[in-house]
Amino acid sequence: MTVTTAAERRARARPRLAVEGAPLLEVENLTTHFRLDSGVVRAVDGVSFRLDEGEALGIAGESGCGKTTTALSLIRLLPANARIVDGTVKLFGIDLVAKSDNALRRYRWREISIVFQGAMNALNPVHRLREQIAEPLVQRLNVSPREARRRAGELLELVGIPKKRGSAYPHELSGGMRQRAMIAMALACDPAIVIGDEPTTALDVMVQAQILELLEDLRHKLGLSLILITHDLSVIAETCDRVLIMYAGKVAEEGTVHEVFRRPRHPYTQKLLSAFPNIHADRRTLDVIPGSPPDLRNPPPGCRFAPRCPFAMAVCTEVVPPETTFDGVRVACHLYPAGSDGAPVTVPTADAIAAGGARP
Amino acid sequence: MTASELSIVRPSGRTRGLRLLGVLRQLARRPEGVVGVVILAFFGSLAIAPELFVGPLQTAVTADGPRLSPPTDGFPLGTDELRRNMVNLTVHGARVSMAIGLLATVITVFIGALIGIVSGFVGGRVDAFLMRITDFFLVIPTFVLALILTPIIRELVGSGSQQLFGIRMTLIVIVVVIGITSWSSTARIIRSQTLSLKERAFVDRARVIGAGSGHIMTNHILPNVVNLIVANTVLVFAGAVLTETTLSFVGLGDPFQPSWGQILEAARSVGAPGLGAWWYFAPPGVCIVLVVFAFTLVGAALDDILNPRRRSRR
Amino acid sequence: MNDDATPGGGSGDAGGSGDEILRLEGLEVHFPIRFGFLDAILRRVHGVVRAVDGIDLTLRRGEVLGLVGESGSGKTTTGRVVVKLTKQTAGSIRLDSRDVTSLWGTRALRAYRRRVQLIFQDPYETLDPKHTIRQFVMEPLVVNGIGTKAEREQRVLDALDAAGLRPAADFAARYPHELSGGQRQRVVIAGALVLGPQIIVADEPVSMLDVSIRTELLRLMLDLRAERGLTYLFITHDLSLAWIIADRIAVMYLGKIMEIGPAERVIRSPQNPYTRALVSVSPTPEPPSPGERAKRTILVGETPDAAHIPAGCRFSPRCPSVFDRCRVEEPPLIDVGDGQASACWLAEGGRRLPVVDGAAPDAGPAPGSSTA
Repeated sequence: MTVTTAAERRARARPRLAVEGAPLLEVENLTTHFRLDSGVVRAVDGVSFRLDEGEALGIAGESGCGKTTTALSLIRLLPANARIVDGTVKLFGIDLVAKSDNALRRYRWREISIVFQGAMNALNPVHRLREQIAEPLVQRLNVSPREARRRAGELLELVGIPKKRGSAYPHELSGGMRQRAMIAMALACDPAIVIGDEPTTALDVMVQAQILELLEDLRHKLGLSLILITHDLSVIAETCDRVLIMYAGKVAEEGTVHEVFRRPRHPYTQKLLSAFPNIHADRRTLDVIPGSPPDLRNPPPGCRFAPRCPFAMAVCTEVVPPETTFDGVRVACHLYPAGSDGAPVTVPTADAIAAGGARP
Repeated sequence: MTASELSIVRPSGRTRGLRLLGVLRQLARRPEGVVGVVILAFFGSLAIAPELFVGPLQTAVTADGPRLSPPTDGFPLGTDELRRNMVNLTVHGARVSMAIGLLATVITVFIGALIGIVSGFVGGRVDAFLMRITDFFLVIPTFVLALILTPIIRELVGSGSQQLFGIRMTLIVIVVVIGITSWSSTARIIRSQTLSLKERAFVDRARVIGAGSGHIMTNHILPNVVNLIVANTVLVFAGAVLTETTLSFVGLGDPFQPSWGQILEAARSVGAPGLGAWWYFAPPGVCIVLVVFAFTLVGAALDDILNPRRRSRR
Repeated sequence: MNDDATPGGGSGDAGGSGDEILRLEGLEVHFPIRFGFLDAILRRVHGVVRAVDGIDLTLRRGEVLGLVGESGSGKTTTGRVVVKLTKQTAGSIRLDSRDVTSLWGTRALRAYRRRVQLIFQDPYETLDPKHTIRQFVMEPLVVNGIGTKAEREQRVLDALDAAGLRPAADFAARYPHELSGGQRQRVVIAGALVLGPQIIVADEPVSMLDVSIRTELLRLMLDLRAERGLTYLFITHDLSLAWIIADRIAVMYLGKIMEIGPAERVIRSPQNPYTRALVSVSPTPEPPSPGERAKRTILVGETPDAAHIPAGCRFSPRCPSVFDRCRVEEPPLIDVGDGQASACWLAEGGRRLPVVDGAAPDAGPAPGSSTA
């Protein structure tokens, strides 16, 4: 069993139940709730998106926006008090939400795998690296242990860890190496999609650059599709083709990275972008978003960003904004009502533009 | 709330005043907590006011039952060789056993917590030294140590009918012995928690503003180990009752205080097992088992409640 | 090892804007490596972690000095030495020209602590969950025996107010778990302010907060500087954050300062290859155009651990511009003009590297081979 190239991947057999012509991943109206003592938290509330083969999609937002829950919902690695209450997650046209836990195992790790933040939590400290990477191969693919270890060595080389370090224990490795090991583990069963949940957040900036470069490499070499979950828009700018901006459990904006980052439509996206320091731009131009995200046990009626939005109109606090698509961008904002052609409803004032409105 | 915060099924946060109520409510939610609390409440009330239930402790003089008889009307648990009602004895035994247990627990927890916090916080040679002492007490079997210590303490403290705070000397001896032999595991547990607390940022912060070790230990370490102390105390209590029982059973107890262990000892010396007088040793035996079991249940439930960082994943 | 400046000026501190309030000279923090009980008793040592390996640093009154470095650089340890949480193993500290290197007696130490305070990184950990906000902010006053009960109460409310927590009385009564991350960090700031310090060491004060909240906290810190004449030692791993807030930036690597100078110069015209590499890989929220990706200097391998520091220039194993002298002799901080200094042999004689995005300088050395 060797590493597949992009072309081989496209030609290889898809899961038995795959629907002809279906996109790689199609998520529609995903809704996940958490049950707490104090109420039900609507962490993910009607999120839809699509991922095509070979694409890298970034899901961005701050803490509490639901991006991690969305990712975990895709492979149903949710805690006991969480439930997917609505929506579909179609992998090659196969709805994973409808599958039982047992049936889902067929797809978990083999078609979709995940790299977590803070690899120490996911690596077993008492097992050597090579064993841990070989494990899913032996369990999932019924490969002989010898063959599995050989392939584990291959995977380690692929992610830039010298083969001989496969006999090391996790605590003997640096943070960057551990994260690479996590990536190797995620690639073990040759999945079609790899989800990275804040894969570089805890790492030094140089190590982060190395890991991102590695992911880029792997993407092209293996024809992988990537879903990158992070609060760091800069990381998404560097690595992803498309981006999904989430706020308070809902999609605010979605589109290609170039379009969304150069011309953000949604006021939250605009504010968020200008809150990131840009080392290549002028100094001290950081923007403030007053207020804080809503309590998802009791989200405000209408648009959830309305209480903090500089462009809020009366309708924003009453009606949930519908999603419109134009210019390859999908936005949920009353500035762009259904059927809009891209011109915002109210022309932003000069102040608003100065505060980070539409960029040239 | 982040995703990680959401996955913790946390008891709803309340202010400090209602914390006890909150804990009790949490206990009520767990079956083992309910069972444990009910049993303890039952025996607790027996222990607090035994006269209310069965009148004053019967003595050889006031006893009015038949000698060593199996259960009959009027004597539902039979009588002992001094013609005393077993029910009366057993209920009064509750008071003695629990009281001794409580006193011993106070000593144990006090010494254990003190040594644990100081050793863990100060560290270095002090820690090394204190822990070697702790290990010594930990390793020697409690019971053997108690056997050795009791006569020694008796010598030191004086015996017989002298009293201290209205408590008989012989009782004090037992309490002290149990205290000395049991503090080491508490010390280890508290020290372990202290070690991890010591590294936390709020301790650093206290140092930065100029707080001394004493201030930090009292104001920061102690309040954060209280939960652990409470959970540990419950189990220590159970252990104390058991140890007292065993000590009394081998004759090192106070013959004038009919603790359950004392009753068992009396049963043994009369030869009750051989005579088939099960009603003599069954009641105290069952009571001991129930009480210790109840403590363990509550201790386990408390540990769960006071440690809210549990996660459960599918 | 003391870094003497080469002729041509001071080690990046020359140019007298603002007088000096804190000076570190030849600061070293070496931790002995010991295993276990026997080592503790016998004080046996297996090696040394050289967390801070000889730095000279000057803090000017009223400035924000950004101390930037990756993990293992020694920046946090430096901060801890300044607030006297960690003891230095060599070197001196002067506060307002007075030697405070070794303070005997609680009174002297307390007086020092009143002037130098620390803002911690983790707002969730810095607050003791068992104490109210009031207790937290009042604790410095209590511990130092300052003021009457009424005076303390007032100072607590003033500090909370200054940190933007209004109404102060309301917040004072709450517990940490009732506050958001941003609010907690404001409480931490209030706790640092209440003693009326002159210098605040901020160790990654916003890295655990959401991006949209960071700006508020940074603005608060700058406002407080203006109002109270504070001086900040701002420790961060995020170069772009230092870019936003710092007047001067010092870049640390493996316990030494590699480059120091005005923020504008260090970022726009970095003179040290390490700084150059860092600047080139610092992510920005602008999608790179096709040619831009190639200009990033991604170093090979990771920072070696501080117990095994390479000989010569400690960056030499990974430096893209390394040449022979680098592997043998460690460069001091060399003045390159405009208040900037670089610890690099390429800067010898005050030579400046050309301003090219991320490209290697034209000093003609053989490209270095990097060992992983």
